[in-house]
Amino acid sequence: MVDATLMAPRRRRFSLASFLDGGGFWPAVPAVLYLAVFMVAPIVTLLAFGFVTIDRGTVGEGGFTLAHMAGVLSDPLVWRLMWRSFWIAVVSTTLTLVFAYPVAYAYGHLKGIARTLLLVAIISPLLTSALVRTYAWIVVLGGRRGLLNQTLLSLGIVDQPLQLLNTSTAVVIGMTQIHLPFMILPLLAVLSERDRRFEEASLNLGASEVSTFFRVVVPMSMPAIVAGFALVFAVSYTNFIIPQLLGGGNYSTLAVQVYEQTIVVLDWSRGAALATLLLSTCFLFVFAIVALGNCFTRWNEVRR
Amino acid sequence: MSQLVIENVSKEFGALKVLQSCHLAVEKGQVVTLLGPSGCGKTTLLRSIAGFLQPDDGRILVNGTDISHLPPNRRDVGYVFQNYALFPHLTIRDNIAYGLTIRRRPREEIRRRVDEALSLIALSAFADRFPKQLSGGQQQRVAIARSLVLEPEVLLLDEPFNALDAQLRLSMQIELRKLIDRVGITSIFVTHDQQEAMTLSDRIAIMRGGRIEQLGAPLDIYDRPRTDFVADFIGRANLLPTEVAGGRTRSPQPIATELPDGPATLVARPENIEIVTGDAVGWSGMIGFSTALGPVIEYEIDCGLREPIRAAIPRQAGRAPLEPGTRVTARVRDEAAAVLLPGRGAQGGTAHG
Repeated sequence: MVDATLMAPRRRRFSLASFLDGGGFWPAVPAVLYLAVFMVAPIVTLLAFGFVTIDRGTVGEGGFTLAHMAGVLSDPLVWRLMWRSFWIAVVSTTLTLVFAYPVAYAYGHLKGIARTLLLVAIISPLLTSALVRTYAWIVVLGGRRGLLNQTLLSLGIVDQPLQLLNTSTAVVIGMTQIHLPFMILPLLAVLSERDRRFEEASLNLGASEVSTFFRVVVPMSMPAIVAGFALVFAVSYTNFIIPQLLGGGNYSTLAVQVYEQTIVVLDWSRGAALATLLLSTCFLFVFAIVALGNCFTRWNEVRR
Repeated sequence: MSQLVIENVSKEFGALKVLQSCHLAVEKGQVVTLLGPSGCGKTTLLRSIAGFLQPDDGRILVNGTDISHLPPNRRDVGYVFQNYALFPHLTIRDNIAYGLTIRRRPREEIRRRVDEALSLIALSAFADRFPKQLSGGQQQRVAIARSLVLEPEVLLLDEPFNALDAQLRLSMQIELRKLIDRVGITSIFVTHDQQEAMTLSDRIAIMRGGRIEQLGAPLDIYDRPRTDFVADFIGRANLLPTEVAGGRTRSPQPIATELPDGPATLVARPENIEIVTGDAVGWSGMIGFSTALGPVIEYEIDCGLREPIRAAIPRQAGRAPLEPGTRVTARVRDEAAAVLLPGRGAQGGTAHG
């Protein structure tokens, strides 16, 4: 007979009383119910569509099948689109970080009205829908009469209008601008609250302002950088409006494919299979970003 | 030549004069404490020496060289922050190595000097931990080592014991003073705790309202305070308002003085007060509140003055303390040790710990 004490790890027994009593859980109930009904259920349904055949809005013959998944995974076009989605997301997220960091840093050094104005400037883009802002980028980047080309031509900087709209460049530009607030806000929260004594300590030990920035300020904000990067990567990777509008009719990414298969081709099963791939790879990448980030933020996790 | 000289340093924040022409000269290896209540300008003065603040006026010299206009990273002055400001993302080893790494010293040299510093503070076993994993006292030692490893001319310490619990403080103060003596570094402490100042310092500069009110050796200041504020801030004092007439005070117990005629304040430490039961020359009153501290008993004697006179009486074995309400006479035990200050002073008559 096996020793009972060895078999039973020191684990807290589940008891109904402590569950009903367990204060901490109850306030979360409305949110959990809401998410269960309006998010978990639709997502499960959507993912389930990928494993059955849908015929004119109803589940067709045959029941469970892996055929759609297999079809998607064996399609080289799907892999190419995924690769493109990934790179567009990586490039635009990196650019977002590069643009957002100085803004968040500057915010901490401003006072009074200038600070308020900067905050308004950061948040105000969120007051218009991303769709409207994407259309605005068409006006800016579009053809010979686009704002950018008109300006460049009239200043004599270029002789021929630049072909920006309907290229990856346009998609990256649009994504970077539209997702900027999502990067600035987490950085701002950490950078504006930071303790300046660390920077003074660094100066006191002989470091210049520049090395203090790169050796103290940036590493100490690493948790916020990782959070912002994961967030913006996820929304960039899965965004279909920006590539569709700024990339033009022939430009596609994995997210755009999901949209087209579902709304245009009306092949819901293939759309759902693509969505499954998009969602699971998105999770995978975000997980990888966080895992990579943890290498730089190990100091933040240690306990005495 | 003094190693650190502060000359006529002044600083204003708007209308507030936080530093008013401060002068201070510190010899090599000396430990000086800037002592004063919060808002007296002591931290502002320390931050000016480090270069975190630019004084409006005056000069700061290290070894005769004016450093007033150098940025903080080009002054050869170590600074230990109140909460130590150890870089949380670097290990203890990397924290101590920080300044040497910045100076691009050879890797071997950095390793050797950091190892030396670690053994100096007896934390070699903690080299690869992060600051968060250390106790407050250990963090303090790391912060000091991080500065000392660069062999600065002067070490500045801003209330380094504030973050430690009371029990640990005294032993850490003694440890730190021993460490400073071993290294032989000129140090300036900032504190509002007079006991800490007495323990650590060769000299104490008492600051008030942006001025250095008195500078001297701890016991010298204790015995010969120049103002009632100093008398009250270093140790505890009975401040008794009186008049001088013809070389004597016109107090119940006349005290000889060289002060000219006019109002004056008599400063008498509680341990220089004796209590006599029955009639005697002195302040007659009634025993009020008493505190048995162990070796001494502290009495408050209500003599009809604004504040009761405090007396610290050594306890005699087998004798019960005086009951509240007992009629007694309070006397200055050693008249030569009593100090007379001209004028009534801003604090005239108050006496608190």
